[in-house]
This record gives sequence, structure tokens and C-alpha cells, in this order.
Amino acid sequence: MSAKPGKILMDNLWFNNPVLIQVLGICSTLAVTNNVRNTLVMTVGVSLATAFSGWTLSLMKDLIPRKVRMIVQVLVISFYVILIDILLRAYLPEASRQLGPYVGLIITNCIIMGRAEAFAAANRPLISFWDGLTSGLGYMAVLVAIALVREILGFGSVLGFRLMPEGFVPWTIMITAPSAFFLVAMVMWLARNLQARREAAAKAAKAAPKPAAGPSPAKA
Amino acid sequence: MKKKFDRENIAYVVIFSFVTCAVFVAGLAAANEATAPKVRANREFANQAAVLDALGIGYSGPAEAASLYASAVRPIEGASPRAYVAERPDGRHYAVEVTGAGLWGAITIVAAAGESLERLDGIQIIAQNETPGLGGRIDEPWFKEQFRGERVAGGRIRISAGAEAGGSGANDPDDGLVDGVSGATRTSQAMELILAKAIARLAEVAGGGK
Amino acid sequence: MDFEFFTMNPIALFFASIFTSNILLSNFLGMCSFISVSKDYKSSFGLGLAVTVVMTITAAVSWVVLYYVIVPLGLEYLSFIVFIIVIAAVVQILEMVIDRASPALYMSLGIFLPLITVNCAILGAILFMQIRQYAFIESVVFAAGSGLGWWLAIMLLAAIRGRIENNPVPSGLKGAGITMITIGFMAMGFIGFSGMIAVQ
Repeated sequence: MSAKPGKILMDNLWFNNPVLIQVLGICSTLAVTNNVRNTLVMTVGVSLATAFSGWTLSLMKDLIPRKVRMIVQVLVISFYVILIDILLRAYLPEASRQLGPYVGLIITNCIIMGRAEAFAAANRPLISFWDGLTSGLGYMAVLVAIALVREILGFGSVLGFRLMPEGFVPWTIMITAPSAFFLVAMVMWLARNLQARREAAAKAAKAAPKPAAGPSPAKA
Repeated sequence: MKKKFDRENIAYVVIFSFVTCAVFVAGLAAANEATAPKVRANREFANQAAVLDALGIGYSGPAEAASLYASAVRPIEGASPRAYVAERPDGRHYAVEVTGAGLWGAITIVAAAGESLERLDGIQIIAQNETPGLGGRIDEPWFKEQFRGERVAGGRIRISAGAEAGGSGANDPDDGLVDGVSGATRTSQAMELILAKAIARLAEVAGGGK
Repeated sequence: MDFEFFTMNPIALFFASIFTSNILLSNFLGMCSFISVSKDYKSSFGLGLAVTVVMTITAAVSWVVLYYVIVPLGLEYLSFIVFIIVIAAVVQILEMVIDRASPALYMSLGIFLPLITVNCAILGAILFMQIRQYAFIESVVFAAGSGLGWWLAIMLLAAIRGRIENNPVPSGLKGAGITMITIGFMAMGFIGFSGMIAVQ
């Protein structure tokens, strides 16, 4: 296999981030990003489900008949998501109650299906696990960043700790849905601008006669 | 195809699908069975804790909650929905379970008060389906703590719409008015109606009704 | 059945699910296909119609399966998987029926059906229906309203995106970025509807 763990990590976290570049899978979690704890529970759930379903499907890939491939993928993904739901209900009843239907929606998260189809179907189990986990981490990084902004400005606190001074007036819009769309757009803008700048710099370095000093970024 | 056998053979497809389904469903059934007692205990604890919370009886963990519940609280037999009596040093207190319509689904709360019904002891929320982070915030301590010792004025407690004091729940217990959740006017209104229902139910139970 | 259902005014529920709590603009469900398809007005129409039809039918079927099969057998923990199978089956049958009945309709609707099995809005509506314990009528009304709300949102966005195309947008925001901002403004507009409906 040509894919290296380090390159997969960088791709999934930054150069090909599932949310920022591929615009996948935000449906199931965006609704709970006004609370950092709920966002963490959800994104950890997505990461684990992606990692384990990638691993399982990769293990099974030589056995799955083509006719039922999609349905087997959905079965495996559902299996892990239901497992997460059962574990949450037993060990984190409070979070499970607050998240309500959103845990089940992890099944339809496009990232999981996407990684199963694009990566696990053609790669070895362990590297598929790693790919799923890092995709989940890239997803987590963006959504937790958004949740931090929303909870700090919307409630003045993070994970129950009060950060803002006494006189701080909470921004109601940060609690409601529109702010999530605006924040996703801002993070996308920032990420794309940074990537475009690095690409331009890399091109300039290549055009210059002396070799580039730093490690050259991916040309994806 | 690398493998020697025919993966698209219909018999293989059927057997494969069947075996895979059976394996995964068995796994889930096992996980569900293994955690069932834990989930049941969680639910039991949540119910008992809700009654203790509403009555204002402090506890530090599930074990203490269970023993406090057993010694201090007695369910009223035949009461539907559930109602409880607690003998306290200052007299008899009642707790009732009340369900009402929220914005998106039923909200079930426990409310408690002394026999005179002059002030609420407190409330606790058992189940709600309001929007997480919006209406769902009625389940946060700052909101619920406002009802602790709040005066019942004219058979109800009003909830002001969207005038939340930064989540701090700064509140005058004598005015029969608490802060609502900002951004969730509809849920706050629903809570006001459910509380009125709870207060009426408390009066009924205190008067010997079931 | 000794299940306690939640009943509310179906008309209020219908309009609330279209406007005040639009399944896309306030619950973020169905974003993936929403963003990729809303580039084109005609496709948006087809996909919106397909979502509405599938959502209403699957909600009705899932309700029956849930309260006549899953709950009596005590298999609640398998409900996610059962719902997915119901959605996939309904989509498959619908595709076959439309193909036989009307090739013209198949061209405008049928091609979107496979996209729908993994649309989170459909599963989301069913999960909301389950967790809020809606009775049968409420479930169907809620699903139909959510589908129409989704349809309305994607048509509006497609119309707006058609105009944005002719305007200068910062390069980093092109495509998904500016679309997100547009959806944000739409969501703000839809919040304004909340004064319209008294849910009691």
C-alpha cells in the first residue's frame, strides 16, 4: 500500500478535511454545536464509528458479494452506531438524553459511508482504521472549534466554567441555528485562504532557483 | 476476481447476508442485554433523584439517594400520574409528576410543595424533547433552581419570556416570577402551563385526591 | 398498546415543521445533498419532491413497523437499523413503481431516489417521530411538513445561488462558503416565522 499513515493524517486533518474541503457529514452534528460537551460526545462517536466500520469492512472486503455491498456497509455502520447509543445510554445517560435523535443520525453521516467506499474498500484493515479515525479527528477539530465560539459567545461559559465577566451579555444568535452556518463559512474561508497562500508560496519556491527550505506541502 | 469461489453465486449471497445479519444482531442483542440492568438502574435512580431534588432533599450518590428515598418518601398508592408524600420536620410535603405539551413533544416534570402550597419546594425535569441548547436548557440547574422556594401567586408561577439573567438565574423568590430561556419563548410558555397544571395537581393530591 | 402518545394540533405541527423549525434550517438535516444539488434549479425541484414523497411514506410505514413490530417484540435497540431498511425498501419500491407507471416522472424524480436512502433528513424525521412519541396522524403530518419545508428551502437556495453566480465573491468563499452564509441568512429569516404559530 502506498498510503503512509503520516500523509493520511495530514490529508484528513487539513488538506482534504471532510468538512472544510469535501463539505461532508455536517448534518448530524451541527445542530448540537452550541454545546461543547455534546459536540465532543458526537464527534468522538463519529470518529469511532468511522474507524471501526472502516476496519471491519476492510477485513470483510474479500467476502462481500457485490450485489449486497451497500447494504452490508450500512449494516456494519448501523451496528457500531447502535453500539455507541447503547453504551451512551448505560454510561452517560445525561448526554444520551440531551442528544436524543442525533446519535442515531451518525448512521447517515456521509463521512462514514464515504470513507468506507473510498478507502476501506481498497485498503488493509489497520490503515483503514487509521484513515477513519483521522477523518473523524478532522471533523472533530472543525466542529469543536465552532462549538467553542458558540458556547463562549452564546452562554459565556465552556463546559460549565464561566469565562466571560459578570456584565457580559450573551449573544442569542450564537445559540440559534444561523450562527452555525456563518461560523462554518468563516472557518472554510480561513482554511481555503491559508491553503491557497501555501500553494502559491510553494509554486513560487519551485520557480525560484534555490530549493525550498521547509517541507513542501501536498499539491492536492 | 482474486478468489477462486464465485462471490456472486446466489446461494453464497443469501448465506453471506444471513450470517452477517445474524452475527451483528447477536452482537447488539448481547450488548443490549449486558447493559440493560445498568440502564434500568439509571432510570430508577433518575426517577428517585428527581423526586428528592424537587423536595429539596440533598444526596451525594445513587446509594444515598436510594436510602434517603426509602426512608423519607412514600408513593401515594393508586395515584395516576404518580404522586408522593414526604414527612418532613416542618410538616407534610407532596411531590407530583406532571406531563404537558412542550414545543416538540411531551415534557414531564416533578414538582413538590408543602401542604399549604404557599411556596414550591422545587421542580425537576424527568423527560423533555426540546431543542438541545435552546428549549432543552430548561433542564439546566440555573433554570430549575429558580423555583426553589418560589412563591405561588394566584395558583401559578409566571416565566418571563427571554429575560434570562446571563444564565445566572438571579431571582426574587417572592414575586412568583422566574426567568425564561432566551431564544426559546415557546418552551418557556409551555413550562408555565405545565407548572400551573402541577400546582393544581399538588392541590388535588394535598386535598386527598389521587 | 399502553403507549402514551403525544398529541398536538396537527395544523400547528404542520406549519411549525415547514417554517419555524424547518428540518434543514434549524436542525441541519439533509445538508450534504442540499449543498451539492442546489446549484441547479431543476434538480432541486426533483430532489425536493422526492424527499417530500419518500419522507411521508417512510414515516407512515416506520410508524406502523415501530408500534406493531419493534415495540411489542422489545427490539427498540434495533430500531435504527429497521428504519434504514424501511427507507431503503420504500425507495426501491417507489423507484420500480414510478419506472413502470410514468417514464416521464421517472426522468424527473426517479434519478434522485438512490440519493435519498442516505439523506439524513429522512432518518432524522423518523427518529424525531419516535423520540417525541407522535401518534400516527401527527407522524404523517410532521413528516409531510418537514419534507415540504426541505423542498421550500432547497428551491429558495437554488434561486438565490443562481443570482450569486453573476456576482463577485472572494475566491476563498466561492462554492460551499458563500452557500453556507446564504443558508445562514435564510435560517435567520425562517426564525422570524416563529411569531406566526402558537403551539398550544
